[in-house]
Amino acid sequence: MRRGGPGLGLALALALSAPASARDPAVDYMLECQGCHLPDGAGATGVPDLRDGIGRFVGVDGGRAYLVRVPGSSQAALDDAALAAVLNWMIRAFGPAEVALRFRPFDAKEVAHFRTEPLVEVDAVRRGLVERMSAD
Amino acid sequence: MKPIDGIFSDAARALARRTSRRGFLGRLGTALLGGAALPLLPVARAGAAARDPAPGEPSRASELGDPQRCGYWRYCAMDGFLAACCGGSHRSCPPGTEMSPVTWLGTCRNTADGRDYVISYNDCCGKDICGNCICMRHEGDRPVYTPSRSNDIDWCMGRAGIVYNSTVAIVVGVATEKE
Repeated sequence: MRRGGPGLGLALALALSAPASARDPAVDYMLECQGCHLPDGAGATGVPDLRDGIGRFVGVDGGRAYLVRVPGSSQAALDDAALAAVLNWMIRAFGPAEVALRFRPFDAKEVAHFRTEPLVEVDAVRRGLVERMSAD
Repeated sequence: MKPIDGIFSDAARALARRTSRRGFLGRLGTALLGGAALPLLPVARAGAAARDPAPGEPSRASELGDPQRCGYWRYCAMDGFLAACCGGSHRSCPPGTEMSPVTWLGTCRNTADGRDYVISYNDCCGKDICGNCICMRHEGDRPVYTPSRSNDIDWCMGRAGIVYNSTVAIVVGVATEKE
């Protein structure tokens, strides 16, 4: 009985020290992404379909940077840690499953690094990445 | 038989003295019209528009207020005309309009259960502007240079019917904290 005490106290301290704004990444997806990407990730007219697609980007050279630098990500009202959490959540939620199971998750440091370089020619960069995916 | 006759005749006279025929007709009219008007009262309207709550939506018992009033809790970031006043409800578009799939989203606190819910403000499109129950609350609204945080955008863009008619407020989830 006694031994459970300190562990529980530590867990409680960690929970209390978490930033107050830390939202569930699924909720951040709703608030920051779903308006255009839609609840199931299918995307409204002219918005890329995330389903079975978003995860493929982490496998190609430049793909991880693209997912962070694309305006919807880099300009979202999320700090680096929250953006990393949403991207990880999206890859797990929208797949493909084989990527979702084994990809290396984004962290705040990697997101911060890519975020400093805004992406202007989105369509051209995306086309290049998709071509690289099909070449593999 | 005389006494019985007398009792009924006295009773009828007493009744005639106490009441008037016009008074009776008036009360009957009130009852008929009032009965017809009862379903139009806000409580009944909310019930008629309601279906079973969607997953994540608060139960009907824990929602207070009138969806035809701007003060309704779901409208905390509303900017537009309430679909509930335009022939639709707070979560369905008026007949003849099409709900825009692209939306802007925010959170509102449901005062009935004290929880924050994610609300999707979908515009109803394709029919001329409704004009009833304008509602401008703007809680959490940001300038248009942050499009996903701005309610000033006509989200009917990209649809066949780009004309804006009104707006619904759909609960899409609970704004939970990270575990």
